[in-house]
Amino acid sequence: MKIFAISVVRNNVKPAKTIVDEKDLASFSYFQRSSIGEFMTFMSQTIAEKTQPGQRQSIEESNYVGHVYGRSEGVAGVVITDKEYPPRVAFSLLNKILDEFTTKYPNSALWSNPGQCPYPELKQYIVTYQDPKQGDTIMKVQRELDETKIILHKTIESVLERGEKMESLVERSDVLSSQSKMFYKTAKKQNACCVIC
Amino acid sequence: MVSEQGGSSSTLSLLPKLDQESLRSRAQPNIPSDKRRLLSPIEQQSASSGHADRQRSDFAVMASLIGKDIQATAAKLQKLGRLAKRKTLFDDRPVEISELMYIIKQDIAKLNKQIALLQNHVKEQNSKASHGSKQAMEHSSNVVVMLQSRLAAQTSTFKEVLELRTENMKATKDRREQFMFTTQQQANTLSSDSPLYNLDRRPATSSSQPANNMLSLDLSTPSQNLQQQEQVQLVDANNQYIESRSTAIESIESTLHELGGIFQQLAQMVSEQRDMVQRIDANTDDIESNVTGAQTELLKYYSYVSSNRWLMVKVFAVIISSAVTLSVLS
Repeated sequence: MKIFAISVVRNNVKPAKTIVDEKDLASFSYFQRSSIGEFMTFMSQTIAEKTQPGQRQSIEESNYVGHVYGRSEGVAGVVITDKEYPPRVAFSLLNKILDEFTTKYPNSALWSNPGQCPYPELKQYIVTYQDPKQGDTIMKVQRELDETKIILHKTIESVLERGEKMESLVERSDVLSSQSKMFYKTAKKQNACCVIC
Repeated sequence: MVSEQGGSSSTLSLLPKLDQESLRSRAQPNIPSDKRRLLSPIEQQSASSGHADRQRSDFAVMASLIGKDIQATAAKLQKLGRLAKRKTLFDDRPVEISELMYIIKQDIAKLNKQIALLQNHVKEQNSKASHGSKQAMEHSSNVVVMLQSRLAAQTSTFKEVLELRTENMKATKDRREQFMFTTQQQANTLSSDSPLYNLDRRPATSSSQPANNMLSLDLSTPSQNLQQQEQVQLVDANNQYIESRSTAIESIESTLHELGGIFQQLAQMVSEQRDMVQRIDANTDDIESNVTGAQTELLKYYSYVSSNRWLMVKVFAVIISSAVTLSVLS
């Protein structure tokens, strides 16, 4: 499950223009990287153009899937992943990125000059979100809950063992108690009965 | 078969075809007999007017084409009905079924148009034909009415099959719910079935009107349905994201619930073991008291025994000394 590219594209003009983007093409061979990178830029621009504001779409193309979310301000975020990446995580990532971007640069005039809108956090995001279980909050919570559940299962098993040991202790203390009682009675009997005579 | 004279050999060559069709399909029992009966006097009457013959042969050509199309649609409808009746949980073939439904819808629309054309053609003929082939006019209008009624029957069968299909889909969704966990499927079924319900109700309401109106209304419903389907798809992508989020959150909630249950079980097991600990405690106390008592007894015995010996030694010594003194004195 990999993310190949994240980009923020301005789609209220035709043709759509990319404002910022970030690619992670380490999985491809060195010679293919530039052409694949161009293809991804082109794909993000095309699908951002075709998305209405307030609409989410997932588009499948050879072995990539592009998730696009168009915001009402006229920018759209595009995430290009492989087919196994869960779309929910991609869309929550898009939500986060677009929220940050629009709060940072709310002025739409800035968008026409990509140099004025640097967005270095994208690099960080693409790294953390490579593993969707790591990046997404919901999945983190779910994972921790699952680990806790495993630990609790082990605890219950050890409590069961403790119970068995307790039972054996109870039996043994019962036996000891009866034996000591016999011992006491014998000793007492010896005292009362016939003395050596 | 009908015996013929010159003129309209084309009509008569088509007659055997119609006859074979009727033998094949159960839905067309009447056409051959009617056509034969009505056509034979007509042939004999208007053997003279070749022009009228050509018109009628056109009419018969179109009528036979329409008959063939209706029969083909009936076969497709049967296949669709069989597919929709299947109640397997996992082998459902929605793509095939929806394709078939689309094809049948288009066929029905096309047949509608053709029958409307035929009707217009018949009206023109009737207005043009001055001399009295009244039977020809009656016959053609009869044929048109029969084709219309057969198409109406097909459409109502199609509607029934669609209703059956929605019911089956609901039933399979219910059964899937029982095997899988999610609780928000109810919202899912409502949102996805309601467009389907709307699409189904429309043919039902339209076909309740008289047959002539049904022809025109049916032409408009397919386009409306297509538009609705497009809108549903667009809304669906958004819905899917939101629904998957809510699914994930619900699974988290259920995990938390399970964890709570596990903690409770743990507490209960530990409290059960508390009783056992108390028993062990009581037992060990008993052991201690018993052993201390036994030790006391033994001490007493030991002192008794040791003191006894001392006494006996003293008594013995006194007796022996007395015995010795007595023997010495005497």
